[in-house]
Amino acid sequence: MRDNVRHRAAHPARYLVPAFVVLGVFFFLPTVFNFVYSLTDWSSFKSEIAFVGLQNFQDLIASGTLLSSLRITLVYAVLVALFQNLFGLLLALLLERDTRINRFARVMFFIPVVMSALAAGYVFQAILKPDGAANAVLGALVGHPVTIPWLGDTTWTLVVVALVHSWKWMGLSMLIYLAGLKTISEDVLEAARLDGASAWTTFRDIRFPLLAPALTFNVATALLGSMNGFDIVQATTGGGPARTTELLNIFIFRTFGQGLFAQATTMSLVLFVVVVALAFPVIRTLRKREEVL
Amino acid sequence: MKKYLTIPTAVIAVGLLAAGCSDPTAGGGAEPGAEPGTGSADWPAQDTDLTGTTLTIWAAQNSNTAPDAVVEGFEELTGAEVEVVTIPDPYEQGVQTKVATGDKPDLAFWQPTGSMLTALNAPTNLQPLDGAPWVDSYSGDLADMTGILDDTRYAALITSPAVEGVYYNKEVFSEHGITETPTDWDSFLETARTLKSDGETPFFEMGGDRWATQWWVQVQLADAAADGLWDRVNTGEEKFTDPTILGAIETYQGLIEEGLFNEDIKTATFEDQADALLSGDAAMAVQVNSFFGQLQAKADTEELNEKIGFFPISPTGNVGTFIPDQSNALVAFKTGDADREAAARQLLAYWLGDGYADFVADRDTISLRDDVPTPDSVPQALLDVHASLGDSVGSMQALAVANPDLYLYLADMIQGTTTPDEVAQQTQDQFAQLARAQGIEGF
Repeated sequence: MRDNVRHRAAHPARYLVPAFVVLGVFFFLPTVFNFVYSLTDWSSFKSEIAFVGLQNFQDLIASGTLLSSLRITLVYAVLVALFQNLFGLLLALLLERDTRINRFARVMFFIPVVMSALAAGYVFQAILKPDGAANAVLGALVGHPVTIPWLGDTTWTLVVVALVHSWKWMGLSMLIYLAGLKTISEDVLEAARLDGASAWTTFRDIRFPLLAPALTFNVATALLGSMNGFDIVQATTGGGPARTTELLNIFIFRTFGQGLFAQATTMSLVLFVVVVALAFPVIRTLRKREEVL
Repeated sequence: MKKYLTIPTAVIAVGLLAAGCSDPTAGGGAEPGAEPGTGSADWPAQDTDLTGTTLTIWAAQNSNTAPDAVVEGFEELTGAEVEVVTIPDPYEQGVQTKVATGDKPDLAFWQPTGSMLTALNAPTNLQPLDGAPWVDSYSGDLADMTGILDDTRYAALITSPAVEGVYYNKEVFSEHGITETPTDWDSFLETARTLKSDGETPFFEMGGDRWATQWWVQVQLADAAADGLWDRVNTGEEKFTDPTILGAIETYQGLIEEGLFNEDIKTATFEDQADALLSGDAAMAVQVNSFFGQLQAKADTEELNEKIGFFPISPTGNVGTFIPDQSNALVAFKTGDADREAAARQLLAYWLGDGYADFVADRDTISLRDDVPTPDSVPQALLDVHASLGDSVGSMQALAVANPDLYLYLADMIQGTTTPDEVAQQTQDQFAQLARAQGIEGF
């Protein structure tokens, strides 16, 4: 009891105020304003801001662009979650042992994570141009010139940019899977070996299930992070060709740039709601898998 | 403890909510329509001492060196300090966003069209430039061509406004015995078909970079624009989906399907377009002045005079479609500081006054004043562009109240994902949305 009192005296609640002020001003308040402005006609064209009720929502639903952008965003997020985890896991398994080469390789694969996303995007844009490096390499391999417009296909470009996104972030997934692999007890693996389990069986039945917490984190961050994706796609395709890679954030950026601030705010609110609506079931499902541990 | 924190948080939130719903740029009682205390149009002498005054000019990546000579001369003459700040591309979006949050320069490069002045909320944010000392010295009709919104002048035109028209490779033309440039739309297409049957690529379009796609539709609307098309569009009387504009979109698609354009139209870029025209891989491109700037970056005046020509085109003749852009003009902001506002007007007066000859020589550009000569080193094609301004008509950007992303929808069509009908419908929907945001009747 006395300990508790002393503890309280040393850490009074007012010490929390600065942290909460920062949280309030930079996180809580913008979110609240996001709600408020989406109900107005705020634009660059006039000074007054009037409440217009749900007009913005009605317009957005009626136009259909919102739904198509939302669909593209979801497909993109799922692809990124899939690729990023697949690559990250493969890299982690490949580089699991602490040899000097592996340590070097881990650093190399982590470098894209700390790189500027725009820089990465522009580099890939140059590589994937019809007369870029990717086609030059392919051309040298097959022996005749290749001019595949990697970023000019209305169906597959979305997959290509999702791969670029996954490439940039796979180092982070790798690191988390590596940490997860390290926590698996040697005893369990040794027991499996003694029972004659093959490497594949060990992975499928023991190591992968024990990686559940790492998988939860990786899938959730990749999925929800790429829902908010903007920089890589903006740098590689700018939403093209024919807006087949126009993520919701790019659509929002474009709308805001036209001076339709309220409409842009409404869209970002929709994105916020969708991310939240997606986050809870995804995280709950993944946490359920961990309960067996 | 939880209680402690929720109460103040809630109080802060509610307080800010109540205070929050106002535009930061609306401060200081500057209601549109009312004449505010600042921004009145008296014009200080060009050499008034400005020691201790710092002026800021916002410029885009392609216009940030334009003020160099003027700034140097002005600083020497007045003792003022002028800072040119580059706003990254996309410039217009960046400026609009900054202004919306209350951040304003003294001067900025800006597209002097009605739709773009509206986008900056000119009556509230910009200084009126009525009675400016330089206006009378413009050559021809340049004074009233652009920069005016609701009878108030807000922009100062410094360089020759861009014109949409056809840039062509003279060598390709003469190789195929074409000695006269086309005189109307039909002979224009006839020329293209002749070239095609000879195995050339008549037209080059940059579907990858997208923004030039709209010129093809706009030049076809020149006659209709002269006949008040955009006035009718502005009131909702005529729509993008009506036969005039939709027809132009369909014609454009028809020409693409006919194979008159480059094979890589879906992915080609602005740079590819310039390279193709210069090398003669393509014979013609419908473009604006900035395209010629790209050509100038690749070749010197002598080579350009030899290879590249320009002619305007319209359905029944050679009428150009003018489209002033951001590098053509400057606007002065109401910053609330009367001295700096006056200094900004003084800088504009110097730019288009005593400093104009230096500016024109430094930029190697066409003079807009009769009494300031255009340098001999300006390429012939640019002189032809300028000459076409006289009887040109306004583009969508110049005459429509809003500027929808027509180029984007056309690029979608080139990619094959939409039809001309859908392009027209999407453009109309967006136009209506922008018009409604401006509070225009009929939308």
